[in-house]
Formats: sequence, C-alpha cells, structure tokens
Amino acid sequence: MTHKRWKVATIAAVAASSLLLASCSKASDNATDTSSAAAETSATAAETSAETTAGASDSAAASDSAGASDSAGASDSAGASGSAAASGSNVEPGCVPTTKEKPYIAIVSKGFQHQFWQAVKKGAEQEAAKEGATISFDGPASESDVQPQLDMLKTALTKKPDAIGFAALDSKASEPILKQAQEQKIPVIAFDSGVDSDIPLTTAATDNKAAAAEAAKHMAELIGNKGTVGLVIHDQTSLSGIDRRDGFVEWMKENAPDVKLLEPQYGGGDATKSADLTKAIIAANPDIAGIYASNEGSAIGVVKGVEESGKKGINIVGFDSSEAQMTAIRSGVQAGAITQNPVGIGEQVVAASMKALKCEGLPDTIDTGFYWYDKTNIDDPKIAAVLYK
Amino acid sequence: MSTAEVPVAARRGMSDNVRMRLQQLAAFAGLIVITAFFAVASDHFFNYDNLVNNILVSTVQIGILALGTTFVIITGGIDLSIGFGIALTGMMAGTFLITWDLPLGLGLLLTLVVGGLIGLVNGFNISILGMPPFIATLAMMLVCQGLPIVISDNGASIYFDDLPAFQDLSGGTLIPNFPNAVLIFLVCAVIAWFLLNRTLFGRYTFAIGSNEEATALSGINVKKWKIIVYTVAGVFIGIAGIISAARIGASPSAGKGMELQAIAAVVIGGTSLAGGKGTIVGTVIGALIIGVLNNGLQVMGVPQEWQYVILGVVILIAVYIDMVRKKSATAAG
Amino acid sequence: MELNKNTDPDPADPKVAAPPVADDRYLLELSGVNKSFPGVRALDDMQLNLRYGEVLALVGENGAGKSTLMKLLSGVYTPDSGEFYLRGRPLRVSGPRDAQQQGIAIIHQEFNLMPDLTVAENIFIGQEKPSGGFLLNNRTLNRRARDLLERLHLPLDPRTPVGALTVARQQMVEIAKALSYDAQVLIMDEPTAALNDAEVATLHELIRHYVSPDTGVIYISHKMDELKAISQRITVIRDGQYIDTLDTATTSMGEVISRMVGRQLNVNAKPENVHGGREVILSVQGLSTHGLLKDVSFELREGEILGFAGLMGAGRTEVARAIVGADKRSAGTVKLRGRTIDPANPAQAAKYRIGYLSEDRKRYGLLLDQSVTTNIALSSLAERFSTAGFVRDRPAKAAAREYVAQLKVKTPSISQITKNLSGGNQQKVVIAKWLLKDCDVLIFDEPTRGIDVGAKEEIYGLLNELAEGGKSIIMISSELPEVLRMSHRVIVMSEGRITGELAAGDANQESVMHYATLRPDENAADAVELGLVDPADSDNTHQHGKEA
Repeated sequence: MTHKRWKVATIAAVAASSLLLASCSKASDNATDTSSAAAETSATAAETSAETTAGASDSAAASDSAGASDSAGASDSAGASGSAAASGSNVEPGCVPTTKEKPYIAIVSKGFQHQFWQAVKKGAEQEAAKEGATISFDGPASESDVQPQLDMLKTALTKKPDAIGFAALDSKASEPILKQAQEQKIPVIAFDSGVDSDIPLTTAATDNKAAAAEAAKHMAELIGNKGTVGLVIHDQTSLSGIDRRDGFVEWMKENAPDVKLLEPQYGGGDATKSADLTKAIIAANPDIAGIYASNEGSAIGVVKGVEESGKKGINIVGFDSSEAQMTAIRSGVQAGAITQNPVGIGEQVVAASMKALKCEGLPDTIDTGFYWYDKTNIDDPKIAAVLYK
Repeated sequence: MSTAEVPVAARRGMSDNVRMRLQQLAAFAGLIVITAFFAVASDHFFNYDNLVNNILVSTVQIGILALGTTFVIITGGIDLSIGFGIALTGMMAGTFLITWDLPLGLGLLLTLVVGGLIGLVNGFNISILGMPPFIATLAMMLVCQGLPIVISDNGASIYFDDLPAFQDLSGGTLIPNFPNAVLIFLVCAVIAWFLLNRTLFGRYTFAIGSNEEATALSGINVKKWKIIVYTVAGVFIGIAGIISAARIGASPSAGKGMELQAIAAVVIGGTSLAGGKGTIVGTVIGALIIGVLNNGLQVMGVPQEWQYVILGVVILIAVYIDMVRKKSATAAG
Repeated sequence: MELNKNTDPDPADPKVAAPPVADDRYLLELSGVNKSFPGVRALDDMQLNLRYGEVLALVGENGAGKSTLMKLLSGVYTPDSGEFYLRGRPLRVSGPRDAQQQGIAIIHQEFNLMPDLTVAENIFIGQEKPSGGFLLNNRTLNRRARDLLERLHLPLDPRTPVGALTVARQQMVEIAKALSYDAQVLIMDEPTAALNDAEVATLHELIRHYVSPDTGVIYISHKMDELKAISQRITVIRDGQYIDTLDTATTSMGEVISRMVGRQLNVNAKPENVHGGREVILSVQGLSTHGLLKDVSFELREGEILGFAGLMGAGRTEVARAIVGADKRSAGTVKLRGRTIDPANPAQAAKYRIGYLSEDRKRYGLLLDQSVTTNIALSSLAERFSTAGFVRDRPAKAAAREYVAQLKVKTPSISQITKNLSGGNQQKVVIAKWLLKDCDVLIFDEPTRGIDVGAKEEIYGLLNELAEGGKSIIMISSELPEVLRMSHRVIVMSEGRITGELAAGDANQESVMHYATLRPDENAADAVELGLVDPADSDNTHQHGKEA
C-alpha cells in the first residue's frame, strides 16, 4: 500500500512538473523567438491577405505614430476623427525641471492581459526608449479589480517614481492616493478614462462617446437609416461600456429616429457569451438589420453568433481591433469597426509625463483619437498602423 | 440514531428507487415548466432553430464542465479550476494545432492530456497532500488564469480559420442540422452516465462521497480513486476547452465564471454538495435549465440586470424545492 | 487514566480455567505487543489469545487500548514490536484489505458503511469482481448479496440504501460485509452500543451461528450482562496493559468490573422512593405528533428522576423533541408549573428552563473544536455574558471554572478544546451548559452512551445530586439496568404510546419488557389490555400501566 501511494505520488509530481515545464519552455520560446514567431504569423497573414507590408506593421506602427505625436502632439492623431482636443496649459505650480538622466515613470493601467493593454504598454515602452525614460507597467487581472488596482498604485508610489501614469477603475477611490502623489510633487498623467479629480495634469484618452457616435453614424448609413438594431455591450457598469452604449444610442435617437434600438445586452466582453446573446437577439427579432458590438470580445462573439445563426444581411459594426475582426471585415461578415489607438495612448502617457517633468505646459485632455475602418481602408498604412492584434 | 427510525426507514427503504426517479422527474418537470412558459411568452422561442442551434449550443460548454464536476461533487469535493481550465486547454489546443502545427488527432489527444493533467494536479494536491478541495482548485484556477497569457503572444487569441476540420468539431453537422458540439455533449453525457452507474469508478465515487473513511477501511485505495476522479473531471475540461476553441477561437480569457454556472447546474440537478448523491441525468437537466433561462429571457428582451436576478432566484427555488423534497422524504411526511 | 495501576490482580489467578474447546493451539495469538504514539504509550507488552470456536470478550475502559489493538490487527497501525500468530503462523497485516484477505474481519464501533450505497454495494465494496476490470453488473451483485444474506438468515433487501436502514439493520450489513470474506476471526467493537435488547438477542444468535470449530470471535463491549450471555472467556486490559483473562462461567461481573477499573463499584444502588407529594413541575396531556406519538400523558415532579424505557423506535426521543418544540405537535398540551407552554423550538424551551441533552452530544450538544468555556457559556451568552453584543470573557470564564469544579470535569484547563476530553467529561460539559442556564427540567437522552463504566458512575452520581437539589429529570435510556437503577418511576413506551408506568419498586427487567413489547396496533390482545379497542375508553391509555 505504501509503495503504491508513492508510485501515484511520483507519477503525479512528474506530470505536474511536465505541465509546468511545457508552459515554461513555451514562455521562453516566446521570449527568445518573438521575432521569428512574429515573422511566422505575419507571413501567414501575408499569404492570406496578400498584404506584403503587414509583416512590418508592428515596427511601422511604432515609428509612424511616434513620428505623428512628435510633430504635432496630441491633435494630430485626434484629427482623424475630427474632434479637437481642448487645450489649456497645466503646469505644476513651482515646477522644477527634472535633472534626472533617466526619469522613472510608473504606469498603472486598468488591465493587463487584454491585447488592448498590451498595445498601450508597447506604445509606452517605445516612447520611453525614445525619450530616455524607464517605465514600469502594471494592471489588475480584470477591470472589476478596483482594490488590487489601488494596491498597485500605492506600491508604485512607494517606489518614488518621477511621474505616474494612471488609468482609474474607480476615480473616487483612488483620490486619496493621488493626493499623496500630489503632496510628493509627483506629476500624475491620467489615461484611457478620466479621473474625476483635478490632480492629473492631463488625460490621454479616447473619447468613447464620440467614437460610439461615429459607430452609430456608420451603422445608420449601412442600414439606410431604418430597421432594427441590436446592441451587444461589454459592460454595464464601467465608464467605457456606458459611454460606448450611450454615445451610440444618443446619436441614433437624434439623427436616425426610424432606427429601432433593442434593449442592450451585456456579454461581459466574453466571445462565447456574446455569441449566445447574438443568437437570442436574432431569434427574437427575425427582421434585425444590424448589430453593434462595443468591444473586441463582443465583436468576435457577434460575428460568430451571426455566422452560426446562418442569417445573411446583418450589418455588424464592431469596436477595437483584433485578428478575428480584421478577418471578418475582410471577408465581409462584419461591415466595419471603430478602433482606438492604444499604442498612441501609451506613447502619449510617456510623452506627457516627460513634458510635465520638463515643466512644459499640457492641455486638459489629449484625445488620442479613433478611426473607422472597413474593407475599403483596412490596408491603408495609416489605419494599419493603429490596428493591433 | 433517532428512535423513530423503524417506521421511517421501512417507508424509505421500500421506495428509494422510486424516490430517486421522482427527484429527477421533479427537475425535469421544472425544465418543462420553464420551457412552456417561454414558449407561450415569446413567439420566437419554441422553434427547432432556437432550441437546438441556440439553446443547446450555448449549453454545451457549461454542460460538459458540469458532467465532470458531478463526479467531483459526488465525492464531496469541489472544482473551481474548470472555468479558466477552458482558457488553458483551449490555448494549448491552439499551441498544438496552430503554433506547432501538429496533426489534428494528436493535437486533440494532447489537449485532453493537458486537461487531465490539470485534474491530476488537483487530485494530487487534494488526495496526497491533503489540501481542502476548495483551496487546491482555487489555486489551480489562478494558475489556469495566468498560464494561458504566458503561453499566448501578449494575450492574443489563437484562431483556427485555417483549420476548418477543427472548427467543425463545434459548428459542423455530422447529423444534418444538428451541430456537432451538441452531439459531442450528448456522447459525453452517455459516457459520464455509464462511468457513474456501471463501473467500479462510479461505485467508488459514490462510496467516497458517502463515507470516505469507511471506504478506506473497506480496503479501497481512496487516495488513488480521488486522484482519478479529479483527473476525469480534468479530461472533461479538455473537451470543453476544445469545443470552446473550435467555436470561437482560443482566448486567454475564455471560460471566466463558467465554473460557478457549471456548479449551479450540478446543484440544480439534485447533486448534493455534501457528497454521496447525484445523477448525470440531473446534471444534464440542470445545465439545460440554465441554458433555457438565459436564452428565454434574452429572447423576451428582459433587461440584463433582471436576467441575473431571475437566474439567482431560480437557483434558490430549485435548491429549496430539492431540500423540501428531501426533508419530506426523510421525515416520512 | 487516573486509576491506580498498582491494584493489578495476581496473574496466576486460578480462574483461568482449562479451555472448553479441545485444541491446544490458538486461532489468534498476540504477545509482547508494544505501540507508542508521541507522548502516549498506547500498548505496553500487550497479549491476547483466541481459541478455536470461542467468543472471547475483550473489556477495558475507554482509552485502555482496545481500539489501538484493533487497528494493529486491521493494519491501520504498525506495531513497534510484538509477535502475531494466526493459526500458528506468523501474521503480518499491511492494511484493511490485507487483513480481510488473511481472514480477519473487523466491525468497528463507528459503522464503516456508505449510507448512500445499497446493502449489496456496501457488502461487496472492494470485491465487486467487475468484468474487464471496471464494468459492474448490479444484477449479479444483488444475487451474490441475496445468497449471502440468506445463508446468514438476515432479513435484508440487497437493493435498499443503507442510510434508510435502522441502526440494528446497519449492524447486520456490517456483519454480512465482514463475513463475505470467509473470515476466520471476527472482531466486533461495541456491536450493541446502539441496539435494544431484542436486537442484541438477534445479534448473539448470529454470532453463535457463525462460531464453528474453525472460527473465533473477539467481542469488545462495556455491557457486562452481554458478556455473560455470549462469551466463554473475558480478557481484561487496562491502561494499555494486559490484566487478566477470566473464565466467564465462574466469574462474577462485579469482579470483571473491578479488574477493569481497579476498584469495586456499587452497581446495584436503588433510588429511594419518594416524591409522591411533591409539586408537579411538568404535566403532559394527550401529546401526539403526525409521525409517531399517540396520546402521551404523564407528570414529572420536583426532584424526580423519571425513566423512559422502550425498544428502539418506541418514541421516547420523540416525546422529548415534541416537548421542547424540536418536532411539531399535532395535539396535546404541555404545562410547566400549571402554565401551558408551547415552545416553537428548543431555544424557546430553554427560556422556559427546560433543557434537552441530545443522545448524540457530539453532533447536537457540543462545539467539539471549541474550548470548555465556550461550550459551557454558549447558551447563556446572550443573557449573561455579553453587553451590547460584545462578549464579556471574564464572567464566562468564572462561571466555567465554577461548574468545572462543581461537576468535577477532568480537564487540564477551562480553555481545553472539548474534543480532547473523554466522553464522560464531555457529557459533564453539556450538563454544565444547561445548569448554567438554570434549567428546572433536564431531559437526558441516553446520558451515558459511549461513556465508560467508571465515568458512568460519576454521571449517575451527578444525576442523583441534581435531583436531590430539586431539579426534575427525564432520563431516556436504552440500557435497562440503568433505567431500573436510576429512576424513581419508569414510563414504558411502545409504538408511540405509553404502554406502562411503574414505580421503582415494581420495575424490573420482566415488567418493563412486558410493556415494551406490547403491540396494540398489530395485536388485538395487546390493544384490549391497553383498553384501546373500547372506543369509550380511548383517552386513558396511560392509566393502563396497572401500577400508575
């Protein structure tokens, strides 16, 4: 009995370590072979889409938008959507320009594992490399982890950074910690969504409401200003979810009164759940003309749901970008999508931080812009640069 | 022991098989009632397309997870790692089939092995190291949440557009107009039923949940069998992960929160969280009740916030009815 | 144990008589067995021998080493040293399965059954003989079980879930399970702890049926009258040491007990018969429930110990539960000092100062993982030991200390975790809890179950003291000698009715058993005796105990 137990134990231990080994070796594969892996994926992408420049999209995106922000700051990328950033001049009172050679910027984001945040991180890293700064980038596991995010912010503060980049999950809750930063004369740059406070010198973010209105405009065009439209929203309680829902709904009510909007459904950004929601919407509304999806996971789910329902002629307008959405747009299942510029957001956070450290003036908000993309402009270099997978 | 036991036991003993069937019948009746309600309430609910392509397809993943978890819960344990287990096994399927470009059969087999390994580690921690199942599988849930991002390319999903044979596992129709995912779920249910009711494995699963110490003293290697139970549950995670990846692509955030839905399905189906009691048919019905409710409320256009409330209330009612029924059965009412 | 070790009897006691069974070798022989646990010497040079064809009783107080010995024989523990022989050949046991295969079957005190599995599934657990290694065939299994049960003359349906059986029938399943291995040595640990007298008789029949020139039984029990009835020899152990082996036929039970505890016990004390004129504290009239009870009426006086006797399932516990509101009444009234009360639950009953001490104190009476103080103070926390929801520890501890001293609870301190106390001391903690609550009526359900002989005496003494101090006590017990010895009056129940009421002087084994076995619902003659067949007479059931 005893030796049998040990046998089982040994087998289990070996199996466990092999599982770990497998994932570790995969991880180090990623670390060492990123370039070749990237080359492989882009090669396959090139084959299917016959788009030869896509292989370089990563680096192109970096230099492109970096160049853009260099030359004209925030307003350039915002120009694509037509909305201009309000400008003011926020300089910390009694500001002393930093003399540090390599200032340290601590960035606390709203998330980490989502590709969107990874793209923000990439932008920040690129800008930091260019400006000669060091950064750290942390974010909680999910966008409902308010407390863990506050802990991360506290930890960041104890590391005595020269500047802080912060995307608040709960702006009220973070106020006391931001006050500490202010007392320690650490400039705070908000990003992604506004912090309800006057402590941050500026906010680098997508205007979600305007972006959603843009989506609504395209949806109205696609369906000829009449018909039933369903909404699959990623979140019922977060600011981005609310803005992207309300921006869409408000535009429709004002500009296309003949469009009947269904009760918004919330799929948590989960593709599977969003697909099931979509199928239920289609079942309940056989006359449906279009479905709006408010983020990447929702869009993937809506595309899948429409495909599985077998129903033709439903116009899908999505949000954000991903390989799946790009494929769906190229194949015509999805009409188009609004994309933010996450790489640009990351760059702006670092750029604004550096400006603050040099005591240069900053506008109240930096609109990092959004773009409508569809079959016709998806391969346009300017668009390809802000798309991320 | 209560002195009232003689008359009570006599009544219970004679009709126990009947009682077991009644219990399943009650859950089934609940399913019928809910279905009938939606059929009347909405014109778009009761048709083949919505019932099969929408409801059944949406039930498949939770259902398969619930099947595996039924074994775990009958032993008196719990498995929280099944939800994010879908993310890990799905991403591993993507790694095997897309990144490493392995043959389909081998890739699927390896994915099931990964699922089995998740369960094996759970079983090892619980059985050999003696950790409480809640803690051990909670920790494994976190591992399953993190590893998919580690093996992914910056959290990117893996898609199978170039592998239609794999995608057909979910969306294909071996039987015309009947999605393969549903077929696989049914096959899994039959296998699970067979395992639970007709094999040594099933018998010991019940025995362990009924009285673990007595089972050990009866000469059964309880530790070994508990590891096997969790491993089998892990293999079911692998199957669910494959279905999820085949349907929507492998995503590092797939399956989030599904563990609780699956556990709810098992409980609605009459399996006791205290262990020792449970049926596969009940679990399937429990999963269907959740699927029908989700879909029906959506088709009716009920606002999402109320859908949550209603689902919660239904779970409370189901568990309460089950309790009352059990109580009246034991109290010889 | 606190008992004096130096009173060991002379090992060369002449009572170790010549074996009644003619075989000079032993079926099972143990010698020089030692087993230690950290800080405890569980077995010290233990020895034991079992002859072919005999029932050997093994007695010793709780903690004497019986369980350790059993666990060595079943392979759960490994001995530090010692020699084991089975049929003259050295024996090594590596685990429960191995013990079974070598022909040693053990029935543990705590049943080792899976309540959710059927009788057949329980009997053959681990020996299902699946085809292909894992496929089961329930029909074959049930047939095998039926064959076995028929062979053993056990009236069980193989398909019944064991959880639905009575304790006595579960015991039968345990025996069938043990015997399904063709065991030569059958070891039974307290097999009658939960059985009533009729069931004990059935069990003994089964044992006699099993014993053959090829087999033997080791029978562990506290109950002296049973040892007399079933065993040929009695081996006494104490504090992990072998004391003596006595020939049952020529040994008095008082002697066995004195060897066990190391001193002489007064086993035949009788209560004085008083209380006739004292105040009626509790008066129950026409109490009925939907489940079982029919028209139960009786009175309890101040300072009285009222014994409730009856067979398993007679409804004694149900009476207690209905009084304290744990079960719903369908009819009847309960008066406390002339005032009608109807507690909705035991908590309300406690407010009326009626305390119910459950038969299963580990489940219903104690927080096993909590300290003695916490347990004693628990029921009185709200009224006595808290201010605005905050617990005041100091008075709670003071009260605990007081009662620990008063009831002579043997515990190293009042912060000791309750599960580390012996059964008798745990029972005292429960009693302390209710005394602190200042209860006037205490209902004891099986107050000495699972408590060893020495500690039982202390509980008895305590009950007498409480009664003398003016408390009114209802004592429900399945051990007839206990009821007879302790009660001022005895009420006998059968099938949910009171079938007899006896004054202490008239109560004896025969009279109680007569009333306990009346079956008015099945037997017309019994119904006539109880006057139930005459409709005009239907409300005076309780008067038919002639002595009432």
